[in-house]
Amino acid sequence: MTLARQLDPGAWQPEMEIVPYRLDNGLNLFVLPDHRVPMVSLQLHYHVGSRFELQGITGISHLFEHLMFRGSETLGPEEFSRILQAKGGEINAFTTRDHTSYFENLPTEHLELGLKLEADRLANLKLNEDNFQTERQVVISERKLRSVDSPFGLVLEQLFAAAFTQHPYQWPVIGWDQDLKRMSLRECLSYYQTYYHPGNLTVVIAGDAKPDAARDLVDRHLGKIPSPGPPRPLIVQEPPQRGERRAVLKKVAQVEALFAGFHIVGLDHPDIYPLSLLAIILSGGKSSRFYQEFVRPGRAVEMEAEIAPPPWTSEDPDLMVLTAIAAPGQPLPQLEEDLWAAVARLQKDGVQPGELARAQKLLRAQAARGLAQNFYRGLLVGLFQMKTGDASRVNQLLKLYEAVTLEDVHRVARTYLQEDNRTVVTLKPVSPAESQALGEMV
Amino acid sequence: MAEYIPEIQQAVLPGGLRLLGVEYDRVPWLSLTFMAKRGAEADPPAKGGVADWTAEFLTLGTQKRTQLQLATDIEARGAALSARGGWDATLVSLEGLAEDLPELMATLAEVVQTPAFPEEEFPLLKDRRAAELAHLLDDPREMANRRFTRLFFKDAPYGHPVTGDLETLEAIGLEDLQNFYHREYTAGDSTLVVVGMAPFARMQEEAGRLWGGWQGGGPASAPYTQAPEKLCSSGLYLLDRPDLTQSEIRLGHLGLPRSHPDYYPLRLVNYILGEGGFSSRLMTRIRSDLGCTYGIRSTFHFRRAPGPFVISTFTPAAQTGLVVKEIKGVVREVLEKGITEQELAEAQSYFVGHFPLGLETPRHLGSRVVSMDLYDLGWDYLRRYRERIQEVTLTAAQAAARKHLQPEALVTLVVGPAAQCAKDLEALGAMEIID
Repeated sequence: MTLARQLDPGAWQPEMEIVPYRLDNGLNLFVLPDHRVPMVSLQLHYHVGSRFELQGITGISHLFEHLMFRGSETLGPEEFSRILQAKGGEINAFTTRDHTSYFENLPTEHLELGLKLEADRLANLKLNEDNFQTERQVVISERKLRSVDSPFGLVLEQLFAAAFTQHPYQWPVIGWDQDLKRMSLRECLSYYQTYYHPGNLTVVIAGDAKPDAARDLVDRHLGKIPSPGPPRPLIVQEPPQRGERRAVLKKVAQVEALFAGFHIVGLDHPDIYPLSLLAIILSGGKSSRFYQEFVRPGRAVEMEAEIAPPPWTSEDPDLMVLTAIAAPGQPLPQLEEDLWAAVARLQKDGVQPGELARAQKLLRAQAARGLAQNFYRGLLVGLFQMKTGDASRVNQLLKLYEAVTLEDVHRVARTYLQEDNRTVVTLKPVSPAESQALGEMV
Repeated sequence: MAEYIPEIQQAVLPGGLRLLGVEYDRVPWLSLTFMAKRGAEADPPAKGGVADWTAEFLTLGTQKRTQLQLATDIEARGAALSARGGWDATLVSLEGLAEDLPELMATLAEVVQTPAFPEEEFPLLKDRRAAELAHLLDDPREMANRRFTRLFFKDAPYGHPVTGDLETLEAIGLEDLQNFYHREYTAGDSTLVVVGMAPFARMQEEAGRLWGGWQGGGPASAPYTQAPEKLCSSGLYLLDRPDLTQSEIRLGHLGLPRSHPDYYPLRLVNYILGEGGFSSRLMTRIRSDLGCTYGIRSTFHFRRAPGPFVISTFTPAAQTGLVVKEIKGVVREVLEKGITEQELAEAQSYFVGHFPLGLETPRHLGSRVVSMDLYDLGWDYLRRYRERIQEVTLTAAQAAARKHLQPEALVTLVVGPAAQCAKDLEALGAMEIID
């Protein structure tokens, strides 16, 4: 059967229909109806991540995310995933510095089952010491995978640990090894009571759902769970950096590399838009400045300016990270000198109109591509809501990028990419014997 | 019939190129893929990487534009060009906004039909590839995958990484790339797939104008379809990496070609064994019960010729022996005791329920259409897929498990610190240390 399709790109509207609700227990719900595919993306975003942790229990948010799959009064370990997967669902969760998100991309007819099981693990989570010990081992293996044995995991940890002296962004989401080993089940349960309740929860349902009917379902399953109200806001500030910081990490590696972090802004600050465009101008695509100067001629394996664009930007001010991975035989000090020279040229001359237009169109294209997926649509709304309290900002995103001027980009390059505001960590390759002599890697 | 399953429209252009089009109306996106139906398996002997390098080289300059001009023009439209060799096919893709359809279609045609093979770009490409390959050695997972491929297939056509190896890099010259292009990029063995917000008539009109006369080179090399006679002997192999804290583990044996009639029963058996995340037996045993890993999965790589069946995981080094032993135990149990009716029903229900998600975006759709064409799956493949999953009986699944899982034939590769794991591994049987 051929459908009558709307195939004129000029008639397309990027704005999403967002239907907001608030339940009596404080739960925020957003329904984003779209009926093209008979699936829904059910997302539960809890406003807790490593930003809310303390020294000694770093990594507890992420470890707790794992524990949420380990059973309830009625379900055994991992049964949550098995039941929903057997309905065709794609089930997973992720923890960031600012939030912990659980999602199920499901056939429409199983939305209620998803809500029922999410409510069950929120209200009736059951953990025992055995489950806790097993999951702790899993996370320790995950830490080795992501941080210790990965090429640059430990280098990036050093970067954030050196750049942030007071703010909790100084520790990794996965936590320090010693904290993971020390943590107790009791601490996890106390964390659960503080942060896991409807008053700290944003639910998004994106896809083949009717708003009022979806609201009724959410109310039926999550509406009766009590909430003590939102946790007290945590206000933490990193003091301004007053001079460059440098560190070296030695490990077995084939290449030398450096990671430079510059303090920038959080999601709620308007400079995030010119900064996101600046990162694309520097290293987005094969016509970008860094690709042409460093990667194409084989001087660097990678030369990137990275920033998490809205709404993935962190809630509090984050770092813009410049990564330089030297090609074998290319001296890192020379590469670093040339990198700072490229930054200095940018600060002196600004960027060309063609460069800005290219970056703006790239972001417009990425937005159009992403909006094909319910999961992506749901994340946009959920993350904006949680980090700024304003879900509707998602529909202004393209306009915010389009409003950025050449002068804005020039200004943020001068304001943030300063030597006094940067932390540089270099990776220095050593032999296995030298590495061993430096002690255990954890 | 479910209406979200799109119609695949087709035409054969005068030069012999097949056009496959899917109209897509959710977002104004356009996904274009040119597929030459030969890939890294057609690399010249001892020159692994030629298919992949050739694909990238097409993007480094045409008769009209240099690399920088091409990249600037494409990226000014917010579009992205990618070109890579794979197993059984080479794909050159261009994705962007549907409003730019004429320019994007013209650019893809220009890149594929009129490459300039600029000599000055070749040493740069080689330097970049050498740097990337050296850097890959720092990633234990990537290193284990690449080493397993070579160990298992030796010098057979699937026996090298698609991007090549540092050891063979110097052997490749610009003429190898030109030869590959002139031999394998031929209209009769290629397809253009267009998915996007445009009527098929428009796709056909543009394709006819830009590709109608294109015949390419040829004749393409004979398709590679048979498994090699000699493979690595089953057993245990250890590559010592004293700097790692975890071991990367790969276990594998020869799998099946995509055309094998047991494809559906075996997909379901493998979901239960190790593809189904927390619903799989390997994940349940190695992660949920033992806490030995963060992740484990098994995969049958279905290709034109039999690809490998591989189980992949990692574990803190001291547990390596235990994990290898437990994995083999799980495979043996599936083989000897079979799967349950409930497991099969849940696996079927997963594949059926999950099916629409694979049709959500132009890229998803494009990749489905590419596979349908490459492996001759039939134009009713999408419509019949769920039916084919549902008609698999427990008897058929059990038979497929017995026939195709071979725990005794497993080749096991461990990349990890020998000082912490060799003793336990030796207790499992003869072990060979490799470089």
